[in-house]
Amino acid sequence: MLAPHRARHDFPPAIPADSRPDVRTPSRFLFWLIRSYGWVVPAMTLAAATWLIPAAFTPWLLGRAIDAGVSGGVEASLGWVAGLLGVIVVGVVGGIGFHTFAVRMWLLGIYGIQRRVSRQAVHLGHVLNRRVPTGEVLSVSSSDSDQFGATIDAFGHVIAAAISFLLASVLMLTTSPSLGAVVLIAVPLLMTASTPVLRPLTRAQSAERTESSTLTSLASDIATGLRILRGVGGERTFAGNYERQSQKVRALGVRLGTWQAVVEAISILLSGLLLVALVHLGSLQLLDGTLGVGELISFFGYAVFLTSPMQTFFDFAQKWVQGLVAAGKTITLLGAESPWAPAPRQLGPAPVLHDEASGVTVRPGRMLGVVSEDPDASAALADRLGRYLPEGAPENSGEDELKGRARRRARRERLAERERRAREDAEIAARPWGVSADGVDYSQLDVADLRRRVVVSHTGAILFSGTLQGAVDPWGTHTREQAERALEVASAEDIYASLADGWQGRIDEKGRGLSGGQRQRIVLARALLNDPDVLVLVEPTSAVDAHTEARIAERLVRYREGRTTVVVTASPLLLRRCDEIAVLVDGREVARGHHDDLHDHPDYRRVIARGMEDSDE
Amino acid sequence: MSEQLLEATSADTWREGPLPSRLPEGFEVPVGAGPRRRVSAFRRRHSVRSATAKAVYDDARAPERGFPVATSGQAAGFLGGLLNTRRATLGWAIGLNVAAAGAGLVAPLLLGRLIDDVTAGALGRSGLTTTVGIIAGVIVLQALLTFGARRASAVLGYDLLAAAREEVVRIVLRLPLGHVESSGSGDLLTRITSDVSKMAAAARWAFPNLIVSVVLIGATIAAMVVNSWVLTLPMLGTAVIMFFGGRYYLSRATAGYITESASYSVINSTTTETVEGARTVEALGLGRQRVAQLDEDTELSAQAERYTMTLRNMLFAMVDSSFQLPLVGVVLLGVWGHSQGWVSIGQITTAALYVSQLQGPLDRVIAVLDHLQLGIVATARLIGVAQLEDDRTPGEAEPEGVKLTGNGLRFGYRDGVDVLHGVDVDLRPGERLAIVGPSGSGKSTLGRLVAGINRPRVGDVTVGGVDVMDLPLDRLRTEVALVTQEHHVFVGTVRDNVVLARETSASDAEVQQALVTVGAWGWVSKLPGGLDAELGHGKATLTPAQAQQVALARLIIADPHTLVLDEATSLIDPSSARHLEGSMAALLEGRAVIAIAHRLHTAHDADRIAVVDGGRIVELGDHHELLELDGQYAHLWRTWRD
Repeated sequence: MLAPHRARHDFPPAIPADSRPDVRTPSRFLFWLIRSYGWVVPAMTLAAATWLIPAAFTPWLLGRAIDAGVSGGVEASLGWVAGLLGVIVVGVVGGIGFHTFAVRMWLLGIYGIQRRVSRQAVHLGHVLNRRVPTGEVLSVSSSDSDQFGATIDAFGHVIAAAISFLLASVLMLTTSPSLGAVVLIAVPLLMTASTPVLRPLTRAQSAERTESSTLTSLASDIATGLRILRGVGGERTFAGNYERQSQKVRALGVRLGTWQAVVEAISILLSGLLLVALVHLGSLQLLDGTLGVGELISFFGYAVFLTSPMQTFFDFAQKWVQGLVAAGKTITLLGAESPWAPAPRQLGPAPVLHDEASGVTVRPGRMLGVVSEDPDASAALADRLGRYLPEGAPENSGEDELKGRARRRARRERLAERERRAREDAEIAARPWGVSADGVDYSQLDVADLRRRVVVSHTGAILFSGTLQGAVDPWGTHTREQAERALEVASAEDIYASLADGWQGRIDEKGRGLSGGQRQRIVLARALLNDPDVLVLVEPTSAVDAHTEARIAERLVRYREGRTTVVVTASPLLLRRCDEIAVLVDGREVARGHHDDLHDHPDYRRVIARGMEDSDE
Repeated sequence: MSEQLLEATSADTWREGPLPSRLPEGFEVPVGAGPRRRVSAFRRRHSVRSATAKAVYDDARAPERGFPVATSGQAAGFLGGLLNTRRATLGWAIGLNVAAAGAGLVAPLLLGRLIDDVTAGALGRSGLTTTVGIIAGVIVLQALLTFGARRASAVLGYDLLAAAREEVVRIVLRLPLGHVESSGSGDLLTRITSDVSKMAAAARWAFPNLIVSVVLIGATIAAMVVNSWVLTLPMLGTAVIMFFGGRYYLSRATAGYITESASYSVINSTTTETVEGARTVEALGLGRQRVAQLDEDTELSAQAERYTMTLRNMLFAMVDSSFQLPLVGVVLLGVWGHSQGWVSIGQITTAALYVSQLQGPLDRVIAVLDHLQLGIVATARLIGVAQLEDDRTPGEAEPEGVKLTGNGLRFGYRDGVDVLHGVDVDLRPGERLAIVGPSGSGKSTLGRLVAGINRPRVGDVTVGGVDVMDLPLDRLRTEVALVTQEHHVFVGTVRDNVVLARETSASDAEVQQALVTVGAWGWVSKLPGGLDAELGHGKATLTPAQAQQVALARLIIADPHTLVLDEATSLIDPSSARHLEGSMAALLEGRAVIAIAHRLHTAHDADRIAVVDGGRIVELGDHHELLELDGQYAHLWRTWRD
């Protein structure tokens, strides 16, 4: 991969293997983030100052130029005009600098968090799905990462705004202490006075957003269920439901638009009235001769200019709080620890595996079929053999719909629940696992080594988007002949034939666009190509038709000959090819033997011959 | 056949060696080189980024796969049509904005006059108070008019948006059945979510703001001319810079932003796959590959971001200078004019105030045009969906009887590659026909032709003597239905979820009866609200077995005489399958059934079994006849039973 190598402070940032964010508290995390950008944040602040401070001089220079020009002619004003020109040029350059550094800071944050999230997902593996709901991981990666940019942008902005605010104040007070005082007192006062209307605006915004997202989910519901709507019917009903919601959103949108109009009208009113007050006071001073015309014109400029730094202060307060919330979510994800402790021992070359809970022993070099009346019991056995914690997604607390104290409590409860789950995982991982390899309990084995040697292909295995070649050989380390063979054993040649570009044919996200049976066979081919010492296949052909299943069974046995294979299935076509079969009842092994030996075993017959009892001739 | 294809083309399509980088060449940054080389390297990078953006844009405008895309002209025509029916609202929005802009321009004009009068000593203290009072009154009026104008714009924008998205959903709900069945939902889903939100941004924010800004700019410039035409001259410079700068930016920005947002969708889907597939990644040791893929996604995204950043920097340089430099011009011209005696200080003040008032709308108009362009592209993608031609030609003929026949059926999904090579099938009323065969043999395709979803390339399928492709869709659904048992539960009430095929005619009693028949009434009656209970999206969620019962109840309501069952997805979950056998039996009762069977016991129970292989029916007969024939079926049966 020839990606250009990037330094730490250029986006996307390199993530050194030993770099750990400060996950102790949300605010520590934000400061860690700012420090991690190195010189970018100071440079951004400096550029923001270069951009905003000249603007503080513009009204003053404008007034001076007019005054000088009026009294001394064009030549007298030229110096001031040159100053004005210089200030504008510096401001433009500063603006570009600020934009450039702010974008860099923003993207360092976004890409940095996204890269850390993917590393964390890979580091935690299946444990991740036990700790954090998928939606939350994605929102950290896509929206919280963006929030940090907004927060730190506001941080740099506010420092520069404070400097320019002070400067403008000094300039005003030295020009006319009384008018300066009026502007300095009135501007913050007016800004605060307009905040009460912001609350209904925020409420209208969140109501519109909530109902809009419901509308979007109705639309995606229609798109997802379109086969049914066009195949079975119901177009009018669901178009009607969509229209009703759409009209509801429209009404809320108009309400939101009305509040926005109120806010804008108020800001015009307040800043206009301030201008009028200045004109009145200034004109009086003008009549007294204590103020020049140009100076009065500068005050008009300041009345307009000062609203912008004030806006920045309000903005910053809001963004910092939002940033803390985003940081809170991010540190629970990035701070989650893997439960597996390092262990020194490795698996032997051809291990005998024994599971205490079921009493099942997996002998090396043989193909063992596992049959159970309760499919969950045999899937749990497969998980134990692979050293996987049981599945279980954490509940979404629904706290987004709560408000105030109830919301904070829900968040606390959720965090406590997460911590409890993490402790529980670590305890389970530390105590004896209950499965041994050559007599050594799994808890004494190195997990990474175990994962390489014992591979469990579970029913939830997913396909990654890319080419067919990438789906079958995601490692990119196998030869064409090996891949062809794996495809053949999984009886998936027809999928190859159905794609326009053969090996380079597109596989969509999670294999969407393929039928369940097609996906299952590619997953199988991938597991076979991996060729581990011990391969555990859970229901590998449940969505495949009998013809194909028979073909797969025959080829699978030949392919895995001499290697340890466990097949969890209820299909007689697969079972009859197994070297031996373990029959589980209530999670315990009750019988073992070849298909022919077990043919008359009542428990075995009950499971595999379901639907056949009434058809005996 | 397929084995041969693998043998024949595998070597040509297999890629040797590591995955090539998706980053195009030309992004190298020369280290330690002189400024000239650095600038030329930067220009090269910019042009590579520009080319990448153009390629992504072209693909969005004419995608190789998925649904078609309309032209910008068609999209603009669609929006224009919607505006045309809202002339009164549009008139109000424009009228109020003109009035508000006008009021906004009076205050600076009065201020200028005031300063002139004061400096000339023509105004006493009391006169001053009166004039100030008038200005205050004008400002109050301006605030009121602004409120009215903004509100009218919001009403127009939201109304336009609602009409557009509702029309889009209606278009989607008219999509040809054959196309819906064969294409994945991914493309449609992106369009109906992310393209609608881009269109929303354009309609809700950009369009009203365009009206506001254009009116303001026009009115301000008019007012400047009234104030002093000489002091308006510096604005010519602004116009020239804005025109060329804006044109350069706008002609590139759309492609840039589309590329940028596409790059984030790629990052999101890579992350989604890594997170949802965390266990698969762990089991197969794919961590390194997943991290490398995301790192490359972010590299690509960073290049898209750098492109738009450069474009924005160029724009800022032009726009910022173009509306700040006229201030210098106004001062210089004003001071000189004042010394010559043809401009007053008041006029200079007014002109300076106008120039600073122009910054906002000028800045906004560029951003607005940006979003409008994105909105047009999104709209073109949305209404492009409507360009798919329906292959169904509803006729007048009424089927006589329920006999289903397929004659000489040939069909392929790709040109020149047929999946079926001349199949005749003949279903007796009330009969159960099982179709078995290896995957890729064409049995699912046969099911789809028989159910009237796709039109055969050669041959026809008739029901009661009428070609199924000539039946109106509403009618076809009551004759023959394809049961894929995709257990999708819609957001809506239980009733909404069941009535589908007879949404206008089914009574509550019939819906209830259908639920009783499939054994679902027990749990439905316990839901709060019964038939009116809301399902999906944060409401009551159903177990997979309950969802399948709902799916079966839909078919009881549709009441077709023939069912085509595609077992492909139905029996994946063995634990719920057991509960559903009774519900299924109730549905099948009294109907003719074509079952595409994966499990041999389904085939064994059927009246007749057809074995499909290589796109042809190779064996046909009942279980015993096929066993006697001693062909494929007999062989498979023995393997399974012994």
